[in-house]
Amino acid sequence: MQTDAVVESGRYPPGDLAIWVFILAELGAFAAFFGSYAFTRMNNVELFNHYQLTLDKDAALINTFALITSSYFVVRAVAAIRDSDSRGCVRWLVAALVMGAIFLVVKSQEYAHHIGEGITLSTNTFYMFYLSLTFFHFMHVIMGMVILAAVAVKAKRGCYSADKHTGVETGASYWHMVDLVWLILFPLVYVMR
Amino acid sequence: MKKRTVLGIRACTWVWLLMMSLTLITYMIGQVGVGGVSASMTVLGFALIKGQMLGDYFMGLKRLSGFWRWPVSLWLFLPGGLISAAFMLVG
Repeated sequence: MQTDAVVESGRYPPGDLAIWVFILAELGAFAAFFGSYAFTRMNNVELFNHYQLTLDKDAALINTFALITSSYFVVRAVAAIRDSDSRGCVRWLVAALVMGAIFLVVKSQEYAHHIGEGITLSTNTFYMFYLSLTFFHFMHVIMGMVILAAVAVKAKRGCYSADKHTGVETGASYWHMVDLVWLILFPLVYVMR
Repeated sequence: MKKRTVLGIRACTWVWLLMMSLTLITYMIGQVGVGGVSASMTVLGFALIKGQMLGDYFMGLKRLSGFWRWPVSLWLFLPGGLISAAFMLVG
């Protein structure tokens, strides 16, 4: 059983440097979103606390578990390709994609429930933030899954090796960013009151 | 010139388990319905710790030196600071 993986260390992060510029831009947008939510809440504390109770915390827990686990699976995929194990890399990426799919299904069910109750962006300020913030993130999950799927296909074709796997690291870095954002979003929107 | 080093998958596995545990505690605090600054800051603190661990171990930034060592840490400070300020001002 593999317990260690060889990685590069130095001055630059794993993957293509361009994805990191993109990641920083995305994180900046989400930081602004989080700040806006928190400061808007200051003038609407009772409204935010009341409607926060209508959210499904069980679904949020499942989704947080799914994203953290998917990120861990992606770590294993990167470790596998650094060990020249293309098949292992594909298996871990598929496992990560399954976790991503679980997130999408659970989140879609939440949206369906809200839509069924007639809730829209204009229902109130809390739902405006909740729906727009989570849907913005939802779209990033889809984008991340497309990237991971493309990486998995290339890995299956044998395009990566221990010496040449920047594509795997690039996809992994983006996926970790998607997880990172959710780690803040989950407590902020579902728990903090 | 880059040097090769060893990333412990075992360490990442422990990080994953710790992140899952902190998530479960966060969920339980939410289920109890505890509010206020203390509970909110505790939950936010857990999230920031998880974010730092994700950056350090999953993204692999812990092993870098120079500018790219710090983007995730600095980013966590930004929303963490804004959210903390907003919740503390409300009281």
